[in-house]
Amino acid sequence: MTDQLTRRQLLERAAVGGAAITFPGILAACGSSGSKASGGTTSVEQKLAKTLNFSNWTLYIDVDNKTKSHPSLDAFKKKTGTDVNYVEDINDNASFFGKIQGPLSRGQSINRDIIVLTDNDRYLGLMLRKGWAEKLDKAAIPNIKNLAPVQRHPNFDPNRDYTLPWQSGMTGIAYNDTLTDPVLNVTDLLENPKLKGKITVLNSMGDAMTIVMLANGDDPTKVTDKAWNDAFNRIKKAVDNKQIRQFTGNDYAPPLARGDLAAAMSWSGDIAQIGNKHIHWNVPTQGGALWTDNMLIPKGGNVYTASVYMNYVYDPKVQGLMEAGDPKRNITGIYYIPPVIGAKAWALKFNPAIANNPLIFPSSETLSKVKIFDNAALNNQKYLTQWQNLISG
Amino acid sequence: MNVFHRHQGATPYLLLLPGVLFLSVFFVVPLGFLAYQSLESGNIDFGYAFTWQWSNYWDAIQNYRGEFIRSIEYAAIATFFALVASYPVAYWIAFRGGRWKNLLLLFIVAPFFVTYLIRTLAWETILSDHGFVVRTLQTLHLLGSNGRLLATGTAVVAGITYNFLPFMALPLYVSLEQIDARMIEAAEDLYASKWHAFWRVTFPLSLPGVVAGTLLTFIPAAGDFINAQLLGGPQNHMIGNVIQSKFLELTDYPAAAAMSFILMAGILVFVFLYARLVGTEQLTGTAA
Amino acid sequence: MTSIAVEHGERRNPLAAVWSFVKRHVLVAYSVLFFAYLLLPIAVVIVFSFNNPPGKFNYTWNSFTWDNWRYWNGVPGIQSAVVLSLEIALIASLIATALGTLIALALVRYSFRGRASTNILIFLPLSTPEIVLGASLLTLFLHTTAVTFGFETILIAHIMFCISFAVVTVKARLVGFDRHLEEAAMDLGANEWRTFQKVTLPLIAPAILAALLLCFAISIDDFVVTYFNSGSSVTFPLFVWGAARIGAPPQVNVIGTAIFVIALTAMLVNVLVQMRRSKGAT
Repeated sequence: MTDQLTRRQLLERAAVGGAAITFPGILAACGSSGSKASGGTTSVEQKLAKTLNFSNWTLYIDVDNKTKSHPSLDAFKKKTGTDVNYVEDINDNASFFGKIQGPLSRGQSINRDIIVLTDNDRYLGLMLRKGWAEKLDKAAIPNIKNLAPVQRHPNFDPNRDYTLPWQSGMTGIAYNDTLTDPVLNVTDLLENPKLKGKITVLNSMGDAMTIVMLANGDDPTKVTDKAWNDAFNRIKKAVDNKQIRQFTGNDYAPPLARGDLAAAMSWSGDIAQIGNKHIHWNVPTQGGALWTDNMLIPKGGNVYTASVYMNYVYDPKVQGLMEAGDPKRNITGIYYIPPVIGAKAWALKFNPAIANNPLIFPSSETLSKVKIFDNAALNNQKYLTQWQNLISG
Repeated sequence: MNVFHRHQGATPYLLLLPGVLFLSVFFVVPLGFLAYQSLESGNIDFGYAFTWQWSNYWDAIQNYRGEFIRSIEYAAIATFFALVASYPVAYWIAFRGGRWKNLLLLFIVAPFFVTYLIRTLAWETILSDHGFVVRTLQTLHLLGSNGRLLATGTAVVAGITYNFLPFMALPLYVSLEQIDARMIEAAEDLYASKWHAFWRVTFPLSLPGVVAGTLLTFIPAAGDFINAQLLGGPQNHMIGNVIQSKFLELTDYPAAAAMSFILMAGILVFVFLYARLVGTEQLTGTAA
Repeated sequence: MTSIAVEHGERRNPLAAVWSFVKRHVLVAYSVLFFAYLLLPIAVVIVFSFNNPPGKFNYTWNSFTWDNWRYWNGVPGIQSAVVLSLEIALIASLIATALGTLIALALVRYSFRGRASTNILIFLPLSTPEIVLGASLLTLFLHTTAVTFGFETILIAHIMFCISFAVVTVKARLVGFDRHLEEAAMDLGANEWRTFQKVTLPLIAPAILAALLLCFAISIDDFVVTYFNSGSSVTFPLFVWGAARIGAPPQVNVIGTAIFVIALTAMLVNVLVQMRRSKGAT
């Protein structure tokens, strides 16, 4: 078992490239487990709070379809006595950040212990750089050893001092087989005249540019001006000749489902939810994007309680149930990509269909083809302004 | 006929007090913060500082002139169509509604009870490329065989018009309902033509409603962003979308603030010119 | 009908009769079409509230089901979101209309210093883009501990942007108001307050009702300003926008339909009561 894990670890490491292979990363892979707390944390309250305020994206946690409660949160309360005040008020990184930067920039607490932001948008790194995130109490998170190796040293938080992944997803291309031949790469999407006006591209810079850069043969994990310009101009051309119908968030789903779109740059999770067997999703042939929603503790949050919760979620059994749900108990799972090693083994017990779904538990081959966008580029004001002018004017 | 009270004393100020006080605290003060912000410079990483950065304004006008103009354009067209579409209905409810008036008014605002997103999604279903509407238009050759309605400027204007119909219809109704039907009868006797009677008597009497509806539609429509975001393509975006992106994605709060003030100023200019056109009596009540 | 028209009628031919029929009913026909257009998306929403969605997205018709209506609050959070929205809309529209009516009265009937500025003050909130309006209001709230984020802040925000709508709507009525009725009442001995109560108020009642309806509609539909000032409270629009990311559940359609139907029923009851009253009077 250990051998398998180590081999898998190394494979995944070697495959993802760029962000993952760093010297400390290789050291860690050769070592026994992932990051440990380096010299304990300073005086942290070791008492669990009565309530944990957790803000998350909508429909991003397990649900008991009968009672409408969240089994994993109920179990947490049973185990620790802490009630989780779970609010689904995040639906977009930019607007949520826009809302919390007000109080945070004035040194005020936002009354949350855990919030969840995506790593292929600038705001996660921004929270850390501005000092608006609390350091995790790693002593309270021994299960951090179960963190998937590919997630251990992201360039915005190299030692996982402030963040821990919640779920991941992939960005690729979906197409409707009744309207078009398979659209499997960027050339088809952006330059096939038969698809003119019938495709959409994501308005997220991190997603769109990653995919187009990969198609150009460039490395999106280390963006150069030239690579940026090549990719940008390629997309701009498609805008100018009306190939691209719209830049969308997840609102590509209705027109895709209805047949107004032949193909769309889209997120893996959504496609499974459309329930239309004519719509297929693939990682583009030259590579796709990987994004991860990360938990972090905003300034003023209760570090110890939040850390204990994170530890709970990184228990493979808990994660397995949360992820896959359990049709026998009428529990719907999250159905995104879990960051916890060992979750699949438990998921197989609860819901084999989901456990064997390659979009939820992707093979290492699939994972090798998806990349994380360069965090520095995400904060380059020039790139950002150029991108916004393209999609918004 | 409006006559000013002769012995008004403190009455007007007392009437104004609660509302104006509320707005002063909860609108003017925030507006002050916004004005301060519009003259700042800096970025989210290193903070913002007040530096009398008038270039925020100048840059906004230079770089986004197209979007400003497009916003005024879309808003004006939408207001016009809203007026033309709503007037007959407001007339009908006012004069023929009888005891069903209130019910009919409710129907006008009914779409708002279903959140904006849901009713727009419903429209996207109705105006779908393969839907009944588009296919009919294609058969009638009003739309090219490959044409579509969604993700175009037309869809954006149609969306704005639809979503602002109540803002036009209700003030129109309010003003029309007041007109004494006997006046119209008398006018018809005088002019012997229903159309003449309408144009010479009814319409001028309903002008306050027309002005109110036009303002309540045009002003917010110019700053709208959501219709362009969901129904438009990249070439159809309005100034509201730019302000949105400056604020959220680019965290360029000074630029967003400056653009907002330019928009407000532009709208006020329009309102002023409009007041000139229709005569300030309709706008403010009586010659000041 | 004047005598001239009757004489003309006797000499009309059938074509003119048809034309006259059309003319008389064109207004009704048009209005029906207008309402059909207005309510078309509502019809789609109602239809899809009975849909059993194929996946998580309720965009294509799959099969009929009563389940969404049976388990209308089956989606966690939806019930409290709706209740919050309704509460706020009700209170905000009442307060905004009251404040707005007072302002409208002052603006139309009195000449005073600051009249022009007050007019500008009324138009400004309408012209301020929602995002900066919401963010700036948030900034204000952050400077004080007097308000708690949630119900209080959302209510304040909604009243703030609804006042302008109420003012303009009521003003449209007051501008054409015939003051002679009031003068007559006062000549007959009523004081200002009684005149206002018994003469003015009933005559501007349609405008006040229209303002209430408009404010209610705006409040129940607001997203951006609410989002910034909601703390961790979730209103119905906030809920829908969040849920739409993964696929708004059909229960959202159910709630929208239900609110509409309930309001409709309330109005209908109102009409029937009035009919009964007027029957009793005669």
